[in-house]
Amino acid sequence: MDRWLCLFLLSVLASFFLFTHEMVSAAEKVTIGTIEDVLLLPWEVKLPARIDTGAAKSSLDAREIEVKEDRVEFKLPRKYGGLQLRLPIVEWRHVRTPEGLERRPVVELEICLGSKRFRTLVNLTDRSMVKYPLILGRNFLKESFLVDVKLRRTAKPNCRGIP
Amino acid sequence: MSKQNRSQKNPVSLSAALMLLLVSVLLLLPPGKGGAGEKFTVGEVEDVILMPWGVKLPARIDTGAATSSLDARELTVKNNIAEFRLPKKYGNLQLRLPVTEWQKIRSADFKERRPVVKITFCMGPKLIHTQVTLNDRSTVRYPLIIGRDVLKDNFVVDCMHSNCLSPSCPEVPSP
Repeated sequence: MDRWLCLFLLSVLASFFLFTHEMVSAAEKVTIGTIEDVLLLPWEVKLPARIDTGAAKSSLDAREIEVKEDRVEFKLPRKYGGLQLRLPIVEWRHVRTPEGLERRPVVELEICLGSKRFRTLVNLTDRSMVKYPLILGRNFLKESFLVDVKLRRTAKPNCRGIP
Repeated sequence: MSKQNRSQKNPVSLSAALMLLLVSVLLLLPPGKGGAGEKFTVGEVEDVILMPWGVKLPARIDTGAATSSLDARELTVKNNIAEFRLPKKYGNLQLRLPVTEWQKIRSADFKERRPVVKITFCMGPKLIHTQVTLNDRSTVRYPLIIGRDVLKDNFVVDCMHSNCLSPSCPEVPSP
């Protein structure tokens, strides 16, 4: 009698651990909406970002782009402070647009989304025609995010004191 | 002696087992599937079946697009009926559908008016009736773009994967 109870207990425990394990691995991905506010670090410039699973790579609205050897100088849109930045070019990307093939410099950015910091590659392009200054594409999303288009601005960016 | 021991132990282990069962059931219930609000996880690309023709198309799941659009070749509109063909790769089927509205597209250099038609397709277990804009998408890899209008009610997008759900609507005839 005792043995059966032990077996029963063990099986309940085993299934319990199996299920909780599954739950944890599903919960590791954070669900975000179609628009999220992020902070550009270390400058703490707040930008609304379009979460775009249709874009392979992320891109940033950069004005007055000037390439100087292995660095690129540009300004953020005036609406978001117009800060001038100078960053090393990591690579060049050829992007197909409705207007033809375009060559864009790619830089590495650190951004804060929710309470986490992320390093990600973005290509620079004048996006003055488009509503959001930052597009976060699949290269950024694939590791840790689920997108629910019914949501927007799920978390305020706050990475103070978080390394 | 041993008999007495067992009779004392039994109720304890039995109640412990019941407690554990209760706790695990309680813990498992809330995130469980089922119910009206259930959302299905889709990947960056999903196969869908265009109904009633049963044509299978890979669709790009695009949270950056407000609405959905379909690759239409040899597109003409006469008397508010759009006539077009699906790309050769997907059977080249000729379709004639009523235009429900016109969508104005504004991009950097040009302005365009594109016809919008209603289509029905099966994605995962869901039969979806939606409007799509028609345009020649021969420069793009996927013949169907599924935008936020379709995704918002039933789906969440996980970019790590492709083809998370195979089309399984009861309305789709088995091949």
